Amino acid sequence: MARNLRVRVDHTVCVGNAMCETFAPNVFRLNDNRQSEAVNPAGDSEEKILEAAENCPVSAITVEDADTGEQLFP
Amino acid sequence: MSIALQDDMFTRDVIADPYSYYGRLRDADPVHWNEKYELWVVTRHDDLVWLTRHHELFSSAVFKNDPRLPYPAIDESDLGLYEYVRNYQGDQFIQHDRPDHLEMRKVVHGYFTPKSLEEWRPFVQKAVKHLLDAAEEKGRMDVMRDLATPLPVLVIAEMMGVPEPDRPYIRELAEKLLYIGRGEYDRMTPLTEGMKGMIEYVSPLVDERIANPGDDFISVLASGEKQGVFTRHQVLVNTSLLLLAGHETTINLLCNGTLAFIQHPDQWAKLKKDPAGAARLATEECLRYDSPVKSIQRIASQDVEMRDKVLKKNDRVRWFISSANRDPDMFDQPNRFDITRWPNQHVAFGSGIHHCLGATLARVEGQEVFKALAERFPGFRLDNEALEYQPSITFRSLKSLPIHWH
Repeated sequence: MARNLRVRVDHTVCVGNAMCETFAPNVFRLNDNRQSEAVNPAGDSEEKILEAAENCPVSAITVEDADTGEQLFP
Repeated sequence: MSIALQDDMFTRDVIADPYSYYGRLRDADPVHWNEKYELWVVTRHDDLVWLTRHHELFSSAVFKNDPRLPYPAIDESDLGLYEYVRNYQGDQFIQHDRPDHLEMRKVVHGYFTPKSLEEWRPFVQKAVKHLLDAAEEKGRMDVMRDLATPLPVLVIAEMMGVPEPDRPYIRELAEKLLYIGRGEYDRMTPLTEGMKGMIEYVSPLVDERIANPGDDFISVLASGEKQGVFTRHQVLVNTSLLLLAGHETTINLLCNGTLAFIQHPDQWAKLKKDPAGAARLATEECLRYDSPVKSIQRIASQDVEMRDKVLKKNDRVRWFISSANRDPDMFDQPNRFDITRWPNQHVAFGSGIHHCLGATLARVEGQEVFKALAERFPGFRLDNEALEYQPSITFRSLKSLPIHWH
């Protein structure tokens, strides 16, 4: 079974490039300010979420194992 | 409210000091209609962020969608050359809107992620060391000629697999391409020479990488043709775009940043105390304080209301990074150069889906240069207090920056 993830987007650096939405469309959604929010960390596979985080041009996304607290990205 | 000051963005005064002119507009008339060039001038930070993140309202296909003649005016006999410029510029991926833009950006995006570019840091460090070794021996340098120009040309040429002896020629073509943001009456001739020269130069390189793909950046672009995302002309135009964009803006970051340190000895002292620790935030402040790119244009895709103005469909809209990055509603003491400023939500790379593809590369080069300068040199003095800038509305480019040390 897939592990539970905690996904965060730092809004002091997010520029709304929206690449995360392209890689993991069921997890990330742009809010009214057109910044990304992780609305559903279980929406896509861990692989897709990590790909989204890696492709963030300003490294705004962090991904953790929600149960152990282990940091998976960066 | 309208402004009765001399409303020309290409005068010597505005080129020398964009901050006063655009700052006055930002305070008095932040969404300003410039009658002379028939375009909207947007100067506030929040408006710039809003505008760039509403890409569905403001088209990036500026050359394709603007039926008007170029500004400032050009000679009528050059209109044929301008058609060439339109077709060339129009094929750049940055001159596209969604959905095409997303497909094009996806081809190149992975090459420029922070993680991929971190692998280039040792190469950048070695190149900086090599250039500074040569400068140190001479006891003086023109930062532009001896450091800021060769470094990014070296990096982007290495990424693209451009042979070393060709690099001065690339720089020569790039200088002609810079006429795109300028006002000279006869600028279409050097501009089209630069464009045709680039196409001619990159054609055989692209042919070769299509036949034998490698891990270089031209191969990445060429893979876009195989996927059916790019036409051959688009591959050629985008290869030359990245060859240009990969260095011109970085040159400005390195020169303008070095100048800011010379003009602010207290901040230089702060950098010198801990070059490796301070370089990251210092680079962000250099990007904010005297931004490499001054302004970018869009075309309104529909009627849009901004503040108390109505921007009509097809109106030209130009947003000014230089004034947004000095907006007092966003930055505390905006005219102060403070290398510990954080958070620093500058818009030197724009924002939204068109946020600069090469931002991380520029950051790595800036960090390594400012760090190395502070580690190796006690301090700098200008050879000549009088500084001259290129007469461009797009780029904040010094013509040269000769310095010595003590």
